[in-house]
Amino acid sequence: MKILLLAIALFFSHFAISKNYFIKDFGALGDGITLNSQIIQGAIDFVAARGGGRLIFQPGSYLTGSIYLKSNVIIQLDSGAVLMGSNNPFDYVKDAYIGWMSMIFALKQDNVGIVGKGTVDGRGAATANNMTAFIHNKIYNDRLFLDRPSEFNRPQNLYFRECKNVTVTGITLKNPASWNQTYDQCENVYVDSIRVDSKNYWNNDGIDIVDSRDVIIKNSFFDAADDVICFKSQEPNKMCENVVVENCVGRSSANGLKFGTGSRGGFRNFKVKNLVFYDTYRSAITFAAVDGAIVENIVVDGVKATNVGNAIYLRVGDRNSRGKKSTMRDVTIRNLHAEIPAGKPDAGYPLEGPIENLPRNISPAGIAGLPNLKITNVVLENITIVYPGGSNPNYARRGTTAAELDSIPEMPAAYPEFSQFRELPSWGIYLRHVDSLKLINIKLIANATEYRPAIVAHDVHNLQIYKLEIIEPDAKKKKQVVLHRSLIAKIK
Amino acid sequence: MIYHLIIAIQFIVVSSSAPGKEYTASMFGARSDGKTINTGSIQKAIDFIHENGGGTLVFYTGRYLTGGIRLKSNVHMKLEDGAVLVGSSSPFDYNSSAGERALISAEGQENIAITGHGYIDGNAEALLKNMNELDKKDLLVDSVALKPALIGFIDCKEINLQEINLWQSAGAVQKFGGCSNISISKIVIKNSGAGFPSMIFYECAKVTLKESYIESSGKPLEWKGDRKGITIEKTVNQNGSTITL
Repeated sequence: MKILLLAIALFFSHFAISKNYFIKDFGALGDGITLNSQIIQGAIDFVAARGGGRLIFQPGSYLTGSIYLKSNVIIQLDSGAVLMGSNNPFDYVKDAYIGWMSMIFALKQDNVGIVGKGTVDGRGAATANNMTAFIHNKIYNDRLFLDRPSEFNRPQNLYFRECKNVTVTGITLKNPASWNQTYDQCENVYVDSIRVDSKNYWNNDGIDIVDSRDVIIKNSFFDAADDVICFKSQEPNKMCENVVVENCVGRSSANGLKFGTGSRGGFRNFKVKNLVFYDTYRSAITFAAVDGAIVENIVVDGVKATNVGNAIYLRVGDRNSRGKKSTMRDVTIRNLHAEIPAGKPDAGYPLEGPIENLPRNISPAGIAGLPNLKITNVVLENITIVYPGGSNPNYARRGTTAAELDSIPEMPAAYPEFSQFRELPSWGIYLRHVDSLKLINIKLIANATEYRPAIVAHDVHNLQIYKLEIIEPDAKKKKQVVLHRSLIAKIK
Repeated sequence: MIYHLIIAIQFIVVSSSAPGKEYTASMFGARSDGKTINTGSIQKAIDFIHENGGGTLVFYTGRYLTGGIRLKSNVHMKLEDGAVLVGSSSPFDYNSSAGERALISAEGQENIAITGHGYIDGNAEALLKNMNELDKKDLLVDSVALKPALIGFIDCKEINLQEINLWQSAGAVQKFGGCSNISISKIVIKNSGAGFPSMIFYECAKVTLKESYIESSGKPLEWKGDRKGITIEKTVNQNGSTITL
């Protein structure tokens, strides 16, 4: 209810700003050639100084570098209006406070937004490649890790930092050079009906929410090279909390809905509803707490994932915790249907996800804590996962003897990824170091015979299973649930 | 023999005053197409040269459109014959200048120079037209209404302006405040429109102006401060009259 009221308040807040200004009146040219950064900045400053209003971009391609939004200014991009990113990296500011580059910045401003049916097009690949050349020529200093400029040395499309009442609705966001849109330490963020086409350079995310509270993301479409909807926590004493995500569709060469990997503070009170993911390389849903974060009170209800590399991966690790203990508890995922292909889900998309952690057969859904950092109180309910099956033990094999299960490394400091353990001993669900888990109405289907059992539970306590259906051709009397150092409390 | 010696001496003199390393504008992504606003690239070039021990930023033939740039210590700009720095026609593009609102500004810098046979074009007609348009719509705030000079230096030392052509400024052509050791020679100013003084000096010292040509609708020269601070030689206006204080 509180979140609903917040939505209504946010919905009306941007109508309070009513005075209209037209960017063309300030001399901006939508010719795609003239760099308008200073004109747009001048206009924003002007509108802000006059108490706020809407700065309207009519159809045209407005070339720009970095600009800073100011309080009470809403940018309205009409249908056919494009804010077009300059390909010159030196047209962008690397903000000294934030430490990143962006086309549109808002730093410590309130009541700001970008609305309308127009487009923000970073045209980032060319900008990133130009930056790479400058780095090689020693004009710009960067370590070129992975042979690309660091993410913070390439412009994002939007970067909101420490802003209150942020509204981004209707627009299309395209082709950033780095991440796409970041809302960092913001309050009252309302994102509705946006379209993202973000797959022209490495690390192109859909949307990143960092240490922000009271956030709504809904009715949006994302096609991203990197994570689709990504929540991060970079500050140990801050977190993402009170978040609603609903009615979104996404495609990714990484993950669908992700917490992490930056996971210092935490993620709390999430209500996620009705997500659709397709052609997604890694996990549809993945929550990671590896840097000391707390993940708590998360409900995901309604996920349809087709042609997705992995359905669910929950992970607690100990990577960069600096004395904090990562925690994950009270996570419910229900009404999820996932179809995992034998082939590569994102084949043919630009910037395909890297094939890693070979050799391994198709990886199962996973919930993996650490011996001293157990994932607690998880409910999986009404879950169907369809696998291709047909694993080949001659290619990769992990058996289910005690010795073999114990030999799976804990990998506390590894990058959390569903494939991180390479071959796993089950084809449907792999559980390790979990305390109190309910599996309710679970259906696991393998379309071809597997050498592995459907479920392995290793160091799982208070495991309750209510209705489990496992379908595998020619499985005969194979034992499909293997318990190792685990206690089943209930099977019905 | 004497001729060779003179060349040798000249070489030594020149090389001792100009920082050694040369950089071209294109190294920093500047485009000479007359369409690309190069403010970011030129500023990056200046900052880079400044941070790397100084040097000369060379512009070869072409039209380099730009907004306000800030010159820094030990950076010399050299406009080769046929090269032109063209000022943007939008007044907002001068918000990036420092201290004095100008196409090329500097504040508190030393050993700075603009040389070569190229020219700097203030694009005054288009700029003033755009400013009028904004003003008519009541969109021209005071800070943007100030007409930029081509060159505006405040509290700078060791300034060398040589041979360049300076055309069509919306405001004054050159403004110097609190500067010393200014050497201006063989420059050509053509400033028919704006009605501002072409060269304005406030509280400057050790200024030499020689062998230059100043064609101006306003006063060629405005000097405030100690008259002993400036030496003028062989400098004329469009009628051939010698310019004095």
